[in-house]
Amino acid sequence: MRAEATAPGWAGVLARQALEVAAKDVRVEVRSGEALPVIVPFGAAALLLLPIAVGADVPLLRQAGWGMFWVVVLLFGTLVTVRGTAVDDPAQRDLLALLGVDPAARFAGQTLASALLLVAFQVLLAPVAVALYDPGLTGWRWLGPTVLLVAVGLAALGSLAGMLTAGLPARGTLAPLLVLPLSVPLLLAGTQVTAGAAFGRSPLVWLLLLVAADLVVLAAGVLAAGSLDETTTR
Amino acid sequence: MTASTPTSTRATATARAGRRVWLPAATAALLALGLAAAMAAPPDRLQGNLQRLMYVHVPAAWLAYLAFAVTFGASLAWLWRRRPGADRLAAASAEVGVFFTGLTLVLGSVWGKPVWGVWWTWDPRLVTTALLFFVYLGYLALRRAVADPVARARRAAVLGVVAFVQVPIVHLSVVWWRTLHQPPTVLKPGDPTIDHAMLAALLVNLAAFTALYALLVASRLELARLQDEAERLLAEGEPPLAGAAVTPPRPEGMRERG
Amino acid sequence: MGANGSGKTTLLRVLATLLPPTSGGGTVLGAPLDAPVRLAVRPAIALLGHAPALYPQLTLDENLGLVARLLGERPGHAAQALEVVGLAGARHRRAAHCSQGMLRRAELARALLTRPRLLLLDEAHAGLDPAASGLVGLLVDDVLGRGGAAVLVSHEPWRLRPLVDRTVELADGRLWPVEEAGDAR
Repeated sequence: MRAEATAPGWAGVLARQALEVAAKDVRVEVRSGEALPVIVPFGAAALLLLPIAVGADVPLLRQAGWGMFWVVVLLFGTLVTVRGTAVDDPAQRDLLALLGVDPAARFAGQTLASALLLVAFQVLLAPVAVALYDPGLTGWRWLGPTVLLVAVGLAALGSLAGMLTAGLPARGTLAPLLVLPLSVPLLLAGTQVTAGAAFGRSPLVWLLLLVAADLVVLAAGVLAAGSLDETTTR
Repeated sequence: MTASTPTSTRATATARAGRRVWLPAATAALLALGLAAAMAAPPDRLQGNLQRLMYVHVPAAWLAYLAFAVTFGASLAWLWRRRPGADRLAAASAEVGVFFTGLTLVLGSVWGKPVWGVWWTWDPRLVTTALLFFVYLGYLALRRAVADPVARARRAAVLGVVAFVQVPIVHLSVVWWRTLHQPPTVLKPGDPTIDHAMLAALLVNLAAFTALYALLVASRLELARLQDEAERLLAEGEPPLAGAAVTPPRPEGMRERG
Repeated sequence: MGANGSGKTTLLRVLATLLPPTSGGGTVLGAPLDAPVRLAVRPAIALLGHAPALYPQLTLDENLGLVARLLGERPGHAAQALEVVGLAGARHRRAAHCSQGMLRRAELARALLTRPRLLLLDEAHAGLDPAASGLVGLLVDDVLGRGGAAVLVSHEPWRLRPLVDRTVELADGRLWPVEEAGDAR
């Protein structure tokens, strides 16, 4: 019933499982009403608080605007992904294991679901940042791919951290701690793409870095999923 | 573990005792030599005696990364063979690594303030070292959060490997970032045009600190091994069977309370 | 059967191949418990634990539909299974808004849907009203009819006796046969 790894349809089976997991995660998150309706306002409030703290100097905010946006995306986006990895409780994880869902497929599905939520998160926050900081919109064309790549990278890191902290009481605070230092390339790429575009510099090299960083984390997650699955290893 | 005869136990104990003597002795000797070399080396033309901090700061930074690499290697080894010793080594190296990373950052600050007037420079190596510090802290926090030893070893090993693979990308991004904004004066302790005497002193101190690292890790390993032994002995004393902790209720107890 | 804390749930999880044994071994549905091949027999095992493995934010229909799709079953079978257990009317109700008894019935529907060859029921009759209690027998018959086996854990042995061939008690880490007068089967 469960396809062996050498069967020709194996990749198809994994993809199908990943999509089912992703669809389930997105549906659960949307209905629980926590990921977007709560964390987006939280992020928007943070964007509002920053100028209150550092001074509402228009040229300063213009220069720092995109940077602040990306920092908020990173800090609060981490909460979105970590929430997403808590969807499955032990009974549900047992069920998925018995249904033959491969741990790598579960990782991929969780990452996909988190990435979709993060894209929505960024799309909803960006206008707030633009309104509050009035940063330059030159190079907006690069914003799309950057948003996507940052979403994928952060989602993968979050899912990986979720697997590492699954079932632990400290999961909610420990997982973000694990994600943040390793998410610096995402932050830098995001800011450099938007900042560089303003100076006419090609952001291509940063986008390539983003792609490389994303691929490394995705590969790490897929490989680690099997090792971390406690129903198959001792 | 095979049962050891009295003679082989004594032999192991003697070997361990021997290790216990020569490593600290060698470390002490090297550290003394390092200190002497650091003092004997000529002072820097521009920074004067303050520059001698380099003889501690650079080795500390080297050790921060060495410890991280050892944790990576030990994590891989654990994932390969599941030997508890590998897990203990990864943890010990991470703990010692946190110490040296912290030391690097503090010394960098202390050195930077008089020279550049700021407590922190955004030198890419310093930034990466700071991020490494947080990665270590996350690693140790994860270890502390997991109760079951096998699960702890497994999760820590995965983190040890993943973090190590990610850090070069992090460093690369930080370096690229700083090359765009690099100010002309920059922290360059490993300058190839360094004076020969200074270089010699630096190398001696590198060796000394590496010995210190080895000593600290060995001590921590021994401590961990003893802790695991103690836990194992404690666990053997407990009733191993499920359900033995649960006894039929005693309703008389309520009446006794009156 | 067994006292609290005797390890019944743990034993069920080991039988379900979800918990590798720390010592000793055995085979489940022909697969050794310490070999990777045990993963291949998992879809033929149905485990109903203490907590329902249903996503609270999804409807009963969606929950079972997910299981059906992951097993390659036709989605219509999910609705059929819910009908058998008497939850057709609650198909579109979210699991979070269902009572414990309803969730238990939904889990039985899930077990029917997966057509297992090994059925593991923890607290078999917990939360079920008398009408639904008969469903447990139905499910056991279904599995046995397919040539499979069922392991039921219960603190109410009188309810299980008509359904089972053998009763054992888990105590002190071992299984002890339970003598009873006049077995029904």
